[in-house]
Amino acid sequence: MSLRDIADRADDFRRLHETGCFVMPNCWDVGSAMMLAGLGAKAIATASAGLAATHGLPDGGVGRDLALAHARAVVAAVDIPVSADLENCYADAPDGVAETVRLAAETGLAGCSVEDKRHGTAEFYDAAHAAERVAAALEAAASVGRPFTITARADGYLGGGYDLDEAVRRAMAFAALGAPCIFVPGIPEGDALRDLCADAGTAVSHLTGIDKRGASVEDLAALGVRRISTGPMLHRVAMGAAALAAEALLDDGATSALVEKPGWGAASAAMKPG
Amino acid sequence: MSKGATSRAAVFAELHRSGCFVMPNAWDVGSARMFARLGAPAVATTSAGFAFSKGNRDWVGVTGRKAALDHAREMVEAVACPVSADLEDGFGPTPEDVAETVRGAIAAGLAGCTIEDTTGDPDAPIHDFGLAVERVSAAVETARTAPGPFMLTARSENFLHGRPDFDDTLRRLQAFEAEGADVLYAPGLPDMAAIRTLCAEVSRPVNVVIGIRSAGYTVAALAEAGVHRISLGSALARLAYGAAIKAMRAAMSTGDFAPTEPALSFAEIEDLIKAGTP
Repeated sequence: MSLRDIADRADDFRRLHETGCFVMPNCWDVGSAMMLAGLGAKAIATASAGLAATHGLPDGGVGRDLALAHARAVVAAVDIPVSADLENCYADAPDGVAETVRLAAETGLAGCSVEDKRHGTAEFYDAAHAAERVAAALEAAASVGRPFTITARADGYLGGGYDLDEAVRRAMAFAALGAPCIFVPGIPEGDALRDLCADAGTAVSHLTGIDKRGASVEDLAALGVRRISTGPMLHRVAMGAAALAAEALLDDGATSALVEKPGWGAASAAMKPG
Repeated sequence: MSKGATSRAAVFAELHRSGCFVMPNAWDVGSARMFARLGAPAVATTSAGFAFSKGNRDWVGVTGRKAALDHAREMVEAVACPVSADLEDGFGPTPEDVAETVRGAIAAGLAGCTIEDTTGDPDAPIHDFGLAVERVSAAVETARTAPGPFMLTARSENFLHGRPDFDDTLRRLQAFEAEGADVLYAPGLPDMAAIRTLCAEVSRPVNVVIGIRSAGYTVAALAEAGVHRISLGSALARLAYGAAIKAMRAAMSTGDFAPTEPALSFAEIEDLIKAGTP
């Protein structure tokens, strides 16, 4: 079986941002990417925190080489568009961001994200520098020769760097520069999100399941959200299930958690051939 | 050879001398560190779980010697406790193939490994008795060249390959014991009576896997039956991927993001991994 053309997947990904609302689950390794694709996801994203955890690294511990090698492996394993969580694009200066975007496009990714947080720290770039970085990413994406969808993120609201008003101002500035997708992780799922979607003039991505049950797909679509990202949620669910079972076994010798388990066949069926 | 390999191997050998211990199987560095932090005295690799994580759909025989040993080395470096590797059939039919694999296992710093009597051929899945014994003999001979103890687990796989013949399985494990195998293992035994009989009929430690038929037996019940070591095979990996997939499937069908499975927080995952780091 041959995989679909990278350019076709990139076109599909851009079109997904033009109308409606879609869910883009985040994988943490190649196997999970294939299983999520097998469930019928229209596109898939990598997750820096999940990738780091599989390697035993803290969030922010992954560097550019590992992130891009992982992205390349996921692109080669599934048939749908893949967008990579590339943190701050592993560079402070705009030309470094552009370089990462060019390398990301070479892996066959349909897009990637650019954060305004310095890698491995809790420091945020000032608004002007953050905007220059997004502009550089967009310029690099424009010379790829096919759609390469940049998601411009304002992470300071979730990360404690600035308030919601500043996050919205930054996201709007990124939209004004031409970002095809903007993202304010942690934005409350009410008027703030509705207003952002109404005013941005571009697609808005939204992170679900950060720490509690959030709005449904239907609710988010009604607010104007184009894309729903699961972030690290699925990897956390996976590790949580394994940790609870292992703890019960090691502490109490109990094996009941292992009685009801997904069948071998079901796991196989969920994994699409690549 | 990784630092501390000999002392870890000694710890691993000691674990088999009395009582019964649980050895969770991890599929990546993060899960290995998590199980170490949760108190696992040793961790094992799982060829099927590793294949899941890499997206290989044929669970058996796709990894290859180099990839399996590279993965094993990465796991040894990831945790401070002993690591035993699932090395499938030893990656080749001949006794020399098996010996080469065990040499690589020792060099990777493993405290032990498992070798199956499988062929990889669906039409004739199990090696003939004589060759199976020669393969274990070669594995044991190589294991004895390790600078310290190296726990060689010899597996008889009849019950996983449509040959539910307990007598043949027992005869094989007894022959493996006579060749010097340190641990004996027949995955998929039908019930506790079979497990109890096996433990009574051999004098080396017996490994039982939970998650294939024997799910539901408690550690206490298996220990009472004479089992020294309990491994999980791919059960924990299937549980982990299964929980995430079930959560996503539910979200896709209902539109509701309300995972029914308990999720670990970011901080919990990070703390477990950090605390499990040697």
